[in-house]
Amino acid sequence: MIQIKNLYKSFGDLKVLKGVDLHVKAGQVVVIIGPSGSGKSTVLRCINKLEVPTSGTIIVDGYDIMDPETDINMVRTEATMVFQQFNLFPHMTVLDNVILGPIKVRGTSRPDAMRLGMELLNKVGLADKAGNFPEQLSGGQKQRVAIARSLALQPKAILFDEPTSALDPELVGEVLEVMKKLAREGMTMIVVTHEMGFAREVADRVIFIDQGKIQVDADPETFFATPENPRLMDFIGKVVSHT
Amino acid sequence: MAFEFEPSVMIESLPLLMGGAKITVILTVGGLFFGFILGAVAGMMKLSRNFFVRKLAGIYIESIRGTPMLVQAMFLYFGIPMALGIRIPAMVAGIIIISVNSGAYIAEIVRGAVQSINPGQSEAGRSIGLTHFQTMRYVVWPQAFRRMIPPLGNQFIISLKDTSLLMIIGVGELLRTGDEIVAVNFRSFEVYLTCGLVYLAMTLSIAKALKMLEKKMHILGK
Repeated sequence: MIQIKNLYKSFGDLKVLKGVDLHVKAGQVVVIIGPSGSGKSTVLRCINKLEVPTSGTIIVDGYDIMDPETDINMVRTEATMVFQQFNLFPHMTVLDNVILGPIKVRGTSRPDAMRLGMELLNKVGLADKAGNFPEQLSGGQKQRVAIARSLALQPKAILFDEPTSALDPELVGEVLEVMKKLAREGMTMIVVTHEMGFAREVADRVIFIDQGKIQVDADPETFFATPENPRLMDFIGKVVSHT
Repeated sequence: MAFEFEPSVMIESLPLLMGGAKITVILTVGGLFFGFILGAVAGMMKLSRNFFVRKLAGIYIESIRGTPMLVQAMFLYFGIPMALGIRIPAMVAGIIIISVNSGAYIAEIVRGAVQSINPGQSEAGRSIGLTHFQTMRYVVWPQAFRRMIPPLGNQFIISLKDTSLLMIIGVGELLRTGDEIVAVNFRSFEVYLTCGLVYLAMTLSIAKALKMLEKKMHILGK
């Protein structure tokens, strides 16, 4: 589904990614953890080309995103993104946020898009908020709308970029619940997060990125039970003692 | 001869001045209509990734902002015909001058407003597959437009007042009309005072209308 080979990314002189290889199969839930500045979000943002890779190959659903012939807008609809800061469109109602993509990108008729939109809002438990504006919602509700918005394109994968990091602690659970539901339904997901509980419970694979490289790539049991990598041990120690 | 204030002159000159005010309104509305289009295009050009496109908009903005409007008007109305042998009607020249002039300032307003929108908004637009243009059209512009309203209101008022400079090229706007009345009755105190009051009435109306627009826009989502 998503294949990353030898990915390098620099911002000016700063080398953020130094050769990342990652192959995510359809239906897999891959959780990426790592210290801040390690490049984990950058990997995600390279997949949908919000950041242009410096070098390397990224194949999404059979399309090479580095190929100038590839319609990147089309690729983005197959691997949509959920952001840390939600990035809902503040001038639109919740429902309009969700159906903008289907109408403008997929060419869905408005009535059909509205039906789909309500179905998705129902799924994230916010059907009663359809007519509200984002500023009237809590952070957790905003993020659930953002998930519905990215689902509305009926993508093959969703990229979650620290989806719960901007939330008050009591609102994290409701967002994770929705994500678990998606995982159970077989959605391909790549999740950058600090939620170790989620990684342990839901992930098929957990990846530890540090200093621009994948240091550990293992199933959650192995990953958490026997952290051999000293940096990972240090990191897990810090995160766990913190929460 | 002691000065005696004659309020009746103000009343008497009002019908003629309203005729001039009508021309002032036409110049302002016409000028700002095209000025907004020019400004929107130049403002977006300034945000372009292409160096030459950016530079071109920059040259337009700097050269207009850096020269007096009076000079621009006289150059267009008297200078250009001399070089090209075509005469532009004063009214058309007036609207062109207001457009080109306000466009340069509006360009900076547009650029600033678009830049002030959180980059996360365009990223979210692009991430659901919208093209760059669609992202601008449906996501960035509607939000940026709300932020443009206060500075645009300011520009509208400035442009309205600037139309008075066009009397120099013979456009029969408000001040020119007042000038012509004074030439006949020599009551400069009453006539120019009335002119001023009519300008004030128009600028206050713009300010009021924009306040209402701003309020209405705010209710419809932040």
